[in-house]
Amino acid sequence: MTPGDGSGSAPIGSVLVLGGGIAGIQASLDLSAAGYRVFLVEESPTIGGGMARLDKTFPTGDCATCIISPKLVGAMRDYNIDVLTMADVTSLSGEAGRFVAEVRMRPRGVISSKCTGCGDCWTICPVRNNAEPPPPFRPDKPLSEADAARLGGILARHEGQPGNILPVLQEIQESYGYLPRFLLEHMACLWGLRPAELLRVGSFYDRFHFEPYGRHLVEICAGTSCHARGSGKLLEKLEKEIGVGAGETDKSRRFTLRTVRCLGLCALSPAMKINGQPFGRVDLDRVPEILEKFA
Amino acid sequence: MSGALRNVADFDRAAAAGLRTLYPQRLKILVGSASCGVSLGAPDIEAAARRAIEEFRLDACVCRTGCIGFCAKEPLLDLVLPNGPRISYCHMTPQKTRALLEAYSKDCLKLELALCRFAGEEIVSTGEVHSYPSSPGPLQLIPERSKLDFYRRQKKVILRNCGSIDPRALDETIARGTYRGALRAMTRMTPEAVIDEVSVAGLRGRGGAAFPTGQKWRLAREASADVKYVVCNADEGEPGAYMDRTVLEGDPHAVIEGMLIGSFAIGAAEGFIYVRSEYPLAIEILEHAIDQAEKRGLLGKDIFGTGWSFHVTVRRGAGAYICGEETALIESLEGHSGEPRTRPPYPVTNGLWGKPTVVNNVKTWASVPPIITRGPAWYAGMGTRRTPGTTIFSLEGAVKNAGLVEVPFGISVRDLVYEIGGGLIGDRPLKGLQAGGASRGCLSPSVLDLAIDTEDRENATILMGTGGIIVLDDSACMVDMARFLVGFFLEESCGKCVPCREGTGQMFRILSRICEGHGTMADLALLERLAKSVKSAAVCGMGGMAPGAVLTTLSHFRGEFETHIQEKRCSAGVCRGLVAPGAFDGKFGRHAAKKAKG
Repeated sequence: MTPGDGSGSAPIGSVLVLGGGIAGIQASLDLSAAGYRVFLVEESPTIGGGMARLDKTFPTGDCATCIISPKLVGAMRDYNIDVLTMADVTSLSGEAGRFVAEVRMRPRGVISSKCTGCGDCWTICPVRNNAEPPPPFRPDKPLSEADAARLGGILARHEGQPGNILPVLQEIQESYGYLPRFLLEHMACLWGLRPAELLRVGSFYDRFHFEPYGRHLVEICAGTSCHARGSGKLLEKLEKEIGVGAGETDKSRRFTLRTVRCLGLCALSPAMKINGQPFGRVDLDRVPEILEKFA
Repeated sequence: MSGALRNVADFDRAAAAGLRTLYPQRLKILVGSASCGVSLGAPDIEAAARRAIEEFRLDACVCRTGCIGFCAKEPLLDLVLPNGPRISYCHMTPQKTRALLEAYSKDCLKLELALCRFAGEEIVSTGEVHSYPSSPGPLQLIPERSKLDFYRRQKKVILRNCGSIDPRALDETIARGTYRGALRAMTRMTPEAVIDEVSVAGLRGRGGAAFPTGQKWRLAREASADVKYVVCNADEGEPGAYMDRTVLEGDPHAVIEGMLIGSFAIGAAEGFIYVRSEYPLAIEILEHAIDQAEKRGLLGKDIFGTGWSFHVTVRRGAGAYICGEETALIESLEGHSGEPRTRPPYPVTNGLWGKPTVVNNVKTWASVPPIITRGPAWYAGMGTRRTPGTTIFSLEGAVKNAGLVEVPFGISVRDLVYEIGGGLIGDRPLKGLQAGGASRGCLSPSVLDLAIDTEDRENATILMGTGGIIVLDDSACMVDMARFLVGFFLEESCGKCVPCREGTGQMFRILSRICEGHGTMADLALLERLAKSVKSAAVCGMGGMAPGAVLTTLSHFRGEFETHIQEKRCSAGVCRGLVAPGAFDGKFGRHAAKKAKG
């Protein structure tokens, strides 16, 4: 921001902060501490924004309330900060360093100087009590007939059984080779679940994957015994032969390479599986010969 | 054979049918077809055997069986001679199989390929012994099985039928006494008496925590609820342990019978077996076994005419180590992501769908039936006073006789590694052991003379844990092992609690730094402090035990960590950023050994 050139008048020592979320609050507090007068304009009835609704913050898992509460109180008490809630900026004119903003405050319907926060008005609030529930989730595009029959068949086999989500996801993955996201959305829709619930289960378990694998799945055991007996060398050899790293699929979609935590062939390490077929005591020199069998 | 099995007479008839296929009056070719055999080509050997039977017009049958435990000698093929002993042949190939059967057609047995012969087989569930007809002559030249170092100290109870029966043949398992325990418990005993017998026998959980099984059952029995469950924990995610797979692949009915007895004892009409998805063969065999048991009235409604009903369902895991923890397993069975619950309340009162639930390991369930048929005194006579009975260890890594061994508790580590295991491959020096699961870290050879038990008393024992014993020779770097083990927990942490999720990551970073040659001595102190905080703050058992991998390895091999930091030297030549002695003189390290061989 550069000060205006023409008028020659000094810049004004006040700042308007638009938006009373955690960023706006912090900016206001910092500006106030630097000696500026601050007008904090917030559209909603309260400042705090999204963070005030959170339990924890990513990635540290810190308690959100513990971070924001002192700042909320600080902003409200600060003599240099005027908090304008239920307010919109209707116009802005002037130039950098000397703006004129017009702020319109909507009526609150409550005399804020008399409000004690008792909450009695909540029970008779006409807006809240007649609020419509959000519309149920609808996937973007409809299922093709073939998919609908396939999914319907799988769901019918498990309908009504307790704890059936895992078996259903396993069957979808067996049928499609992976978990197609649109299918999970339709499944959620049919069973009255939220898609997030299914995605959460699907992403928790290592065996589920949301992208298709190549034609052949190569799994290298990364168990302790195999590690001690050279599974690292085996992985390097396979990476070189196939030309991709662990967890990737080659360009011709022939192989997907991945590691798995113990195949249970510990006395025959290093071990691997290709398409479920186990190979024990894998000799590095035999790797190309083994791979050749899987075109 | 078909028809429901309801009383002793039905059992005797089925057993007679089973004996006819177990010991037919013609040549029987047994192919070890558990996953370990399959991974080394058992299907090809079986096909070769079938072709040879055609080619040489032999009067013979081919049968797939489970694992006799001697994985180092796989692929194994056994001949059960008509009117003769059973002979095991090791390191078989399709060519050798054809040659062997060709020789057999000319009355020659190619004894130079043989591993051992069986003079008899103990039928553990009944205490009888099936003796093979003995034949004098050249057969005496091959060692008897119980004379082999690998088998001499072994006492097979959990693995009683593995490698002897066809796991898909119900009559064969009945001929070896399976389901007699359930019959006795359900027709002649009260549930309380069953629990008493299990308690008196002193059976403790074989999954690692070693909780007294009888006490667990009693708590579940006493909990009042309309519905109760029994669950078999077959989510054997622990790297280095594969005994549960072997039991399920070799003798699934042993587990089902144990669950049936347990369901009767606590009053549960429904059971679940939660198997890892990495074990497809075990799942297939188990489902087949349940199907058979239902058809023959051993599962389902009105079992043995007692009015008792019991159903078992197999559930597949989806690749999450944490689901081996019982509350996470329950969450997963309920269809959620497998995040552990806080305990108490314990599953015996609030388990699956909030109902009393007994979760036991595969080996625990399989240990129950012989206790009922042969009595608790017989069982308590094995093992130590603190932990009676037997358990299975998987010996692997740089050991000659890698495989599964079932021994009574109290055996010393030295006997396991040097007597049963036959010492290290290439007679290299023993550097350490990774025993009892990833969280137990690496132990130095100073533990060799300690006994293995379920409780740690004044450091006179080392803990059984999950039973995997990985023997490490001098080509293993202990800093690298610690890094690997922490990396495992980092990957498997469910992310629910911060100490485990973030702590394992930080420990991994510090160890990586040391492996790459950027470590400082302050890192070691930091590592220890961090490990201790994670240990005390994590929510579930896994998080609480993960730092053990670092702390134990550090306390046993501190010198090696210090050499990595101060001298930037990795004596095993594993850490790539550091100086490896093998790089110069060709005497040490994995690469050097390869070079010497080639």
